[in-house]
Amino acid sequence: MKPVKFDYHAPASLDEALALLRRYGGDAKILAGGQSLMPLLNFRLSRPAALVDLNRIPSLAYIEEHDGQVRFGAMTRQRMIEFSPLVARRLPLLREATKWVGHLPIRTRGTIGGSIAHADPSAEYPAVLTALDGEVVARGPKGERVVKAKDLFVTYLTTSLEPDEILVEVRLPATDAGAGFALEEFARRHGDFAIVAIAALVVPDGARCRAARLATAGAGPVPVRLRAAEQILERDGLTDAAIDAAAGRAAELVSPDSDIHASADYRRHLTAVLTRRALRRALRVAHG
Amino acid sequence: MPLIGAPVRRVEDARFLTGQGRYVADLTLPRMLHVAFLRSPHAHAGIVSIDAHPARELPGVLACITGDEIATQARPMRAESRMAGYHPTECPPLARGKVRFAGEAVAAVLAESRYTAEDALELVDVRYATLPVVGTPEAAMAGGAALVHEAAGSNVLLTRAFVQGDVDGAMRDAALVVGDRFRFHRHAGVTIENRACLADWNPGVGELTLWSSTQVPGLLREGLAALLDLPVHRLRVVAPDVGGGFGVKSALYPEEVAVCALARLTGRPVQWVADRREDLLTSTQAWDETIDAELAVNADGTIRGLRARVVADVGAYSIHPWTAAIEVVQVISFLPGPYRVEHYRGEAWGVATNKAPMGPYRGVGRPVSTFVTEALVDRAARRLGMDPVALRLRNLIRPDELPYRSPSGVVWDSGSFVESLERARDAAGYEHVRAEQERARRAGRYVGVGVACYVELTGVGSAIPASPGAAISTGTEGATVRVDPGGTVTASFGLACHGQGHETTLAQVVAEELGARLEDVRVVSGDTAAGPVGTGTYASRSAVIGGGAAILAARALREKALAIAAHLLEVSADDLTLGDGRATVRGTPHRGLTLREIAGAAYAGAKRLPKGMEPGLEATRFYDPYFGTASNATHIAVVEVDPETCAVIVRRFVVVEDCGRIINPLIVEGQAIGGVAQGVGAALLEEVVYADDGQLLTGSLMDYLVPTAAELPAVEVVHLEHPSPTTLGGFKGVGEGGTIGAPAAVANAIADALQPFGMELSELPATPDRLFRLLSRPRTTSSPETP
Amino acid sequence: MADAVTVRLTVNGVEREGRCEPRKLLVDFLREDLGLTGTHVGCEHGICGACTILIDGEAARSCIMLAVQADGAELLTIEGLMRDGKLHPLQEAFREHHGLQCGFCTPGMLMTALDLLRTNPSPTEAEIREGISAVLCRCTGYHGIVRAVEAAARKMR
Ligand SMILES: Cc1cc2nc3c(=O)[nH]c(=O)nc-3n(C[C@H](O)[C@H](O)[C@H](O)COP(=O)(O)OP(=O)(O)OC[C@H]3O[C@@H](n4cnc5c(N)ncnc54)[C@H](O)[C@@H]3O)c2cc1C
Ligand code: FES
Ligand code: FES
Repeated sequence: MKPVKFDYHAPASLDEALALLRRYGGDAKILAGGQSLMPLLNFRLSRPAALVDLNRIPSLAYIEEHDGQVRFGAMTRQRMIEFSPLVARRLPLLREATKWVGHLPIRTRGTIGGSIAHADPSAEYPAVLTALDGEVVARGPKGERVVKAKDLFVTYLTTSLEPDEILVEVRLPATDAGAGFALEEFARRHGDFAIVAIAALVVPDGARCRAARLATAGAGPVPVRLRAAEQILERDGLTDAAIDAAAGRAAELVSPDSDIHASADYRRHLTAVLTRRALRRALRVAHG
Repeated sequence: MPLIGAPVRRVEDARFLTGQGRYVADLTLPRMLHVAFLRSPHAHAGIVSIDAHPARELPGVLACITGDEIATQARPMRAESRMAGYHPTECPPLARGKVRFAGEAVAAVLAESRYTAEDALELVDVRYATLPVVGTPEAAMAGGAALVHEAAGSNVLLTRAFVQGDVDGAMRDAALVVGDRFRFHRHAGVTIENRACLADWNPGVGELTLWSSTQVPGLLREGLAALLDLPVHRLRVVAPDVGGGFGVKSALYPEEVAVCALARLTGRPVQWVADRREDLLTSTQAWDETIDAELAVNADGTIRGLRARVVADVGAYSIHPWTAAIEVVQVISFLPGPYRVEHYRGEAWGVATNKAPMGPYRGVGRPVSTFVTEALVDRAARRLGMDPVALRLRNLIRPDELPYRSPSGVVWDSGSFVESLERARDAAGYEHVRAEQERARRAGRYVGVGVACYVELTGVGSAIPASPGAAISTGTEGATVRVDPGGTVTASFGLACHGQGHETTLAQVVAEELGARLEDVRVVSGDTAAGPVGTGTYASRSAVIGGGAAILAARALREKALAIAAHLLEVSADDLTLGDGRATVRGTPHRGLTLREIAGAAYAGAKRLPKGMEPGLEATRFYDPYFGTASNATHIAVVEVDPETCAVIVRRFVVVEDCGRIINPLIVEGQAIGGVAQGVGAALLEEVVYADDGQLLTGSLMDYLVPTAAELPAVEVVHLEHPSPTTLGGFKGVGEGGTIGAPAAVANAIADALQPFGMELSELPATPDRLFRLLSRPRTTSSPETP
Repeated sequence: MADAVTVRLTVNGVEREGRCEPRKLLVDFLREDLGLTGTHVGCEHGICGACTILIDGEAARSCIMLAVQADGAELLTIEGLMRDGKLHPLQEAFREHHGLQCGFCTPGMLMTALDLLRTNPSPTEAEIREGISAVLCRCTGYHGIVRAVEAAARKMR
């Protein structure tokens, strides 16, 4: 389990990194935290001609708030997010999700950009990005473009980013006070990727629900935004009956696959169970 | 304070805690080459041709060797047994003619680094002609099935049966018969250190040294000598620090044979360190049995008879020296458990398929037999409306019935079966837990209590060979204890250690029996050149057999030391005591001699010794416990099942174990809890999965799920200490027990939790997906709630 | 090794240097090039945690990082845990509470526990279990390890 030979570059700037990607014309791989890419290299499942390591570009790691958005440099470590007071205050759902990403020693190196660019459908960050309607900024030869979560994830481990583009920033709308949130996950062991996870955010407004946001991990080839389930809540409020109905609807909205850990039927069932639990907990959080 | 029984802190810890352990992968020799094996991508295929030239051309590559080439250097292994109904088969170091499982080694590349060796593997061009894959025992036994071993003439490599009484009659006459088809899926031992070995050939003296991450250096030496055509004394096998064994490292592996042959072929030291993928593909796996079993009971809960047919998927090869029979024959040997079973029939089939070979793993057969029997006992209790503890108490063999000959012929010399169950019941607060369970159920929470009782044969002596007519003897061990000229003590053993703490426990035994100071005793093991003849550590034997040999050698030495001291002090030996490294005249504490002084005299020779006494202060003794001794325990698990997510959480786990006289309670507790962790993993998480085409689907630790600290409960251990009446020292084995009881206890607890849903659990591991399917099935009885 | 790179880093307070291919894993560099075999390899895909070391003060897997990436970094491996010839309180506690058997997971377990206690000096039992779930131990059932980390936490506070 040793990687194939490759060229290695650790550019000091983004422009240099982009030039390198261009030079290798699709045969280079971007190396971020390496927590997903390195295992693939060690198994020789990934066999790039070159690695372009972003770890020496200091300007890619930051957490800032701008116009109601929390913005993350792509190379911001999951560990930094976990301990960030800004994230705890303004994006508590992301903080909760971070605790589910592997283990602390994994989060030491793993990055938010890598987690999203890797597009593992069982990963938590893509689910949060999808639930919150976040966006990413990609920089390529033609400059920068903003890609909405719904346009980003194509299928298993595949995004709409071009091979010569680098994801440089992740933007998530900050959570208003009064909102409730929860990430409910079922995994076989602590630190494993989700069998199914549901990211939920609700903004109650008296007996009504001003907004509900729901997205899945593990319930199909991409994270699924459960819009029709959200609509039930936005229409009927956050009553037990509406939550049950939303949970039932959620299960109809996903088309999971079977693998050795879980059958499609079981994943669909979990989607309903976890949606209900996530909504109930989010509601409790909202009511403090 | 006596040393035997004291919670002495381990002496080996110092090096492990500071990164100074020496495992095989840590060793390097000058001119050493790294080997990487080309492994078959197919589960069953003929090898049409191998072109190794491009691989040999790669800079840094020394050689690329195929099965035909290595055949001139090493014979294929052949695990022999005189058991009727057993067909021996051959296992070559590198595949010849055909491959029998995905992952089997086809060629070996020797290179200056592992990186280069792996590069070269990609350049070896092998043409395969795929053959029909034999995926399951059912398919293997069907007419017209492809044969895994043509020479055997059948895929059924063994059949065996144990019969006592008239079990069919007992079933006919019983008030109640409960039965089911049980399934315990394939399991992998997963030591955290992958297998590794390093061979060095010294052409000058014609001697080969193999360092291997093995439990059985002695067995390896004998096996390899025959395969490599070397006299046994020209082979030295060393097991240095070994990162876990659990039975997985107790067979002779083809890679070990290959590495020796390659070292001799190239004249350079050759090291192989398995990566995790190779380890999961090729290390021996366990269980994979389907058991049709029925239990007959009277209306009062008295067991009358037990009947079982067990079919095991033994994989592609019969492993050396244990054979393909090791696991499944143990299942039928131990199905009756610690119960009075008058009528019994257990039949076993071992069937070859295109999967990794089956081998011994912690508990061997008994985790499976205990799962089945304990599930049946619980079902009988439920059907009769009896408490499962009460039904067990009625049937457990009582102390006054011991020694007891079980229906499969195993003799239980001793045991505290009833006491361990009663103590476990009390320690768990059984009544209280039952009351809590009721309350939880009313609140919509599903808590279950599972009990499992077992007995195991440990420290097996020469009366019970590993398999009939096996070439190797596993019933004895030796100890050489020496008081060095400086007064320190060196105790060497043919055993090998891979975490059990022998350097501490055997030192405790030697120090106490000899009268030396603990810190003066050094235990050496795992090196065939450094100790007496022995086989290694497996089958819960080291404390019993090694400990027994240690006692004999230390006592012989003590006697001699006292005789020398008596002579020098001019007193009678009867007037001397020897303790703490000093022989002292009774009643006159200032008169005495230290072991160092006694040793000085012993090695000085005739002038200072009693007339006619042989100089030196060293003794070698061997011990054979002949039958072996019974260890037993009761496990109680309390679990909570979330019927919505189908998650199982183990809330509590109680072990009441009796391993006879305890040498070191810390270590006994560590063995028990470590075993329970593996048993809980086996019950809930761990499963080796193959696709229909024989591809391993659990080839990484992302997919083969070893439990972490977060999935395991704190375990409460209670020790009963009934010394074995039949072994020297009163010790009984404790290495495997935790893994024997835990799967059954967890399974019974899950079934108990889910009683309101009217379902039984017959399949392990109880993965959430399996529980989901069970809970989604139409109910057999009406259920109060639906999930 | 035409394409070899030079790696300079500080390990256990000592400046070290070596040359290797860019593809060389950090754990292999430590073990083979620097002779620090206390850091173990159990899976090479980030799951088992045997290779965990501290990189710039934070626990990370050395099997899924390239040696060249550690150029300029400060590493702590198991060989550097003792100070002034004395065992670290965690090492002491592992011995006292029988937190190891075969010792193979132990270096990674100790480094992980060290990071855990630095980020959370007073963990609950559940937090300890969650923290050390980053490392697989097949021998101990984790019982002694949990007790050891609890004890070390008390001592280090
Ligand atoms: C034991 C273990 C457990 C884990 N458990 C979880 C878990 O439960 N949940 C979870 O979500 N993840 C888990 N992970 C994965 C971890 O979170 C990774 O950090 C993450 O998937 C990838 O992030 P990275 O920074 O490590 O990216 P890398 O591994 O470096 O890269 C991943 C992929 O993304 C590409 N890429 C990276 N950065 C960019 C960029 N800026 N622009 C364009 N492409 C880019 C790379 O080329 C590569 O293809 C686990 C990993 C391990 C080893
Ligand atoms: S060897 Fe690095 S995590 Fe297993
Ligand atoms: S002590 Fe052996 S793996 Fe942990």
